[in-house]
Amino acid sequence: MPARPEQNASVRPLPWRRMIWVTWRQHRFALTGVAVLLGGLAVYVWLVGRQLHHAYALASACHPAGSPVCSVLASSFQSMDVQLSNGFVWQPLPALIGAFIGAPLLARELETGTFRYAWTQGFGRRRWTLAKLVLLATTVTAAAAAFSVLLSWYYQPYFTAGNQGRFLTALSPLASGLFDLRGVVFAAWTLAAFAIGALAGVLIRRVVPAIVATLVAYAGLALAAATFLRQHYLTALVTKNVDVPGTALVLSQWWTKGSQFAFGRAPITLLQRICPPPPPKAGPGNFSKSDFVGQCLSRHGYTQLTSYQPASRFWSFQLIEGSWLLALSLLLIGVTIWLVHRRTA
Amino acid sequence: MNVIEASGLGKRYGGTWALRECSLAIPAGHVAALVGPNGAGKTTLLNLAVGLMAPSAGSVTVLGGLPAGSLAALDGIAFVAQDTPLYKNLSVADMLHLTRNLNRRFDDRYVRSRLDDLGIPLQRKAARLSGGQQAQLALNLALARRPRLLVLDEPVAMLDPIARHDFMATVLTAAADDGVSVLLSSHVLAELERVADYLVLLSHGRVQVAGDVDDLLACHRVVTGPTAQADRYSEGLNVVHARRGEAQVHFLVRTNGSADPVPQGWEAHPVGLEELALAYLREPGAAALPGPARGDDAQLSAAMQ
Amino acid sequence: MEIDKPVSKPSGAEPSRLDAGSGEGSPAVAGSAIEFRLDPSSGVPTYLQLVQQVEHALRLGYLKPGDQLPKVRDAVASLVINPNTVLKAYRNLEAKGLAAGRPGQGTFITATLSQAGLPELTGLRRALSGWVVSADAAGLDDSAIVALFTSVLRDFRERHDGSAGRPDTADGGEAERVA
Repeated sequence: MPARPEQNASVRPLPWRRMIWVTWRQHRFALTGVAVLLGGLAVYVWLVGRQLHHAYALASACHPAGSPVCSVLASSFQSMDVQLSNGFVWQPLPALIGAFIGAPLLARELETGTFRYAWTQGFGRRRWTLAKLVLLATTVTAAAAAFSVLLSWYYQPYFTAGNQGRFLTALSPLASGLFDLRGVVFAAWTLAAFAIGALAGVLIRRVVPAIVATLVAYAGLALAAATFLRQHYLTALVTKNVDVPGTALVLSQWWTKGSQFAFGRAPITLLQRICPPPPPKAGPGNFSKSDFVGQCLSRHGYTQLTSYQPASRFWSFQLIEGSWLLALSLLLIGVTIWLVHRRTA
Repeated sequence: MNVIEASGLGKRYGGTWALRECSLAIPAGHVAALVGPNGAGKTTLLNLAVGLMAPSAGSVTVLGGLPAGSLAALDGIAFVAQDTPLYKNLSVADMLHLTRNLNRRFDDRYVRSRLDDLGIPLQRKAARLSGGQQAQLALNLALARRPRLLVLDEPVAMLDPIARHDFMATVLTAAADDGVSVLLSSHVLAELERVADYLVLLSHGRVQVAGDVDDLLACHRVVTGPTAQADRYSEGLNVVHARRGEAQVHFLVRTNGSADPVPQGWEAHPVGLEELALAYLREPGAAALPGPARGDDAQLSAAMQ
Repeated sequence: MEIDKPVSKPSGAEPSRLDAGSGEGSPAVAGSAIEFRLDPSSGVPTYLQLVQQVEHALRLGYLKPGDQLPKVRDAVASLVINPNTVLKAYRNLEAKGLAAGRPGQGTFITATLSQAGLPELTGLRRALSGWVVSADAAGLDDSAIVALFTSVLRDFRERHDGSAGRPDTADGGEAERVA
């Protein structure tokens, strides 16, 4: 039986666009799920946000602030959607998107053995992986970016300057739950979750354990970023001014005496000695206990210092966090592709 | 052209060598059977040839010198792994589109007419096909790529007799029509004699036998005679395997191809492929390899070529 | 494991229906006068069985010069054998001058085997029947009769040809067959 004639030993690689259909067809279930989820949430946010913005417009336009009429409007604004106001309810979204799109990408191929089909087709193992990773990463990042624009619009009333003066809620845009919903960071975290998921998938080779590992790793990273890293992106400002703006992110406060560190919080024994509580009927107006202690300690030569990050640094922080997340994602994706190249059956 | 050439090929998992010092040169235009017991290293060898694994030692090239796993090699080789992996939640039509998009050549008309003949509906999900239908789907997708080499890993192990017959008929018809070379692995010897014309016998990770089936059968025979004369007669022979009874002994011997007459009282019989393979499998030290191999085989192999 | 349903639309490569006998067969394919059949338990190499079947068909008159032999792909599809086996059988027939290949068309019979005419066949058949009756009366069973006949035939050939190998069955390195 005659063998087939020799063919050209060097072949040109197949065009990348073929992978668009391949990726869509294989992952349409997960992608549609994410689209439905985000779409549903978007509708919810838009409906609730319209109410919020309406209430805020009424409350902020009311003059004079503090009058009974305006107080009613203010409190109705304050009480809206309290559970959303700290932003923590949105935190799992990037993790879920990344874990459920990124982890099964390679884990399912390895678990079910279909990689023995996919990686022996003419397209080539590395190019196949790269195409899928890039296409899916771009898709989830774009979807997350769009959703975070909506979230930014929703939370915008809380960040307007002058809220404190009108007795309206003022939140810091740098606060943990809120910072990573807006700007570029939400999309960057989604991308990072996807990259973690893809790497977990190729290392663990089983879908469910890879998803779990992705969620755990993401949670650890997000926690570390929120509690340790974010505060130190730029050197914190220190001020003696007690009136730190409400939109700033306060890091810590402490007392000094004669430019030496005295204590973080005033010890009870000291307070009892030099600042005994006043009689109940002394002093006019709204005198909070901390104001009284503060004035008393100042009279004794103590100065309170506050370190904080001002709200004006929001975009700098966004770019810093976005950059290292992007770099991390690219690194993880690169390692994933390298492992696919090296991985044996 | 050799469809597969291996030189000192080896693969190690942790501390164990699944394949060692494997040297092969399988020519094109043949249906080559890779046989051996479970755990002999058949799947490892096939995975190395199609580029799913990288060797721990030695090298393997395909289709006349292309590196295994390179884009040119992937283009010319179609592989159907054990248990015929398919995307279970995709439909048959989706699998067609997938394979067409992932490859340079795809004969859409061929595969659609084949699926039509087999009664496999295009809209059905792959998971809902029977075992035989899944195997046929995977096989015809592979053949639609118009490969030069078709590699099959234990393709019929899980199939019922009718499905097995249909599967092999498809493979051999493609070999007859297009001249595609075939390399298939099996641990069932019985049906291979009609199908294969090149044999590679793998045992404990080493190649024991490799060669054209006709040449191998021509170079071996069984001589039967009285046990009393056994030792005297066998001195001049290259005995591969002996089966001794009280009065009668059978020697499976390797000749240099000519039909020497047997002495009085002895009989000579031709050997079938299954008997040959079993004899070698029972004698781990024996080997029948072409080409300059180990020293004492050099004469024999020179005569065989 | 479920058994596949039968093929609905055969086109040249049909599934086998396993016969009760020891061989396999398939219905006739248009274009060839004969169909091949394999006997896997006979011990005779596959290509040789094909050659012998062609010669047998020639003797019995099923094939005449000009008839086409089964196409390689059809024989492969119905018997599930290696294509090289069919090619080897056809080359063997070409070497004997019985057939010739036409490129792109197939392999065709070119000559007949010399054979006894029809009256001689009838007379031979009658004589053989008488012999079988005698052997049966002497108490021989079927396999004894066959063994006796084969042994006599072999002796005749050895005396007649004067060599141990017969041109029909020996090919290259095949070993002797023992009756």
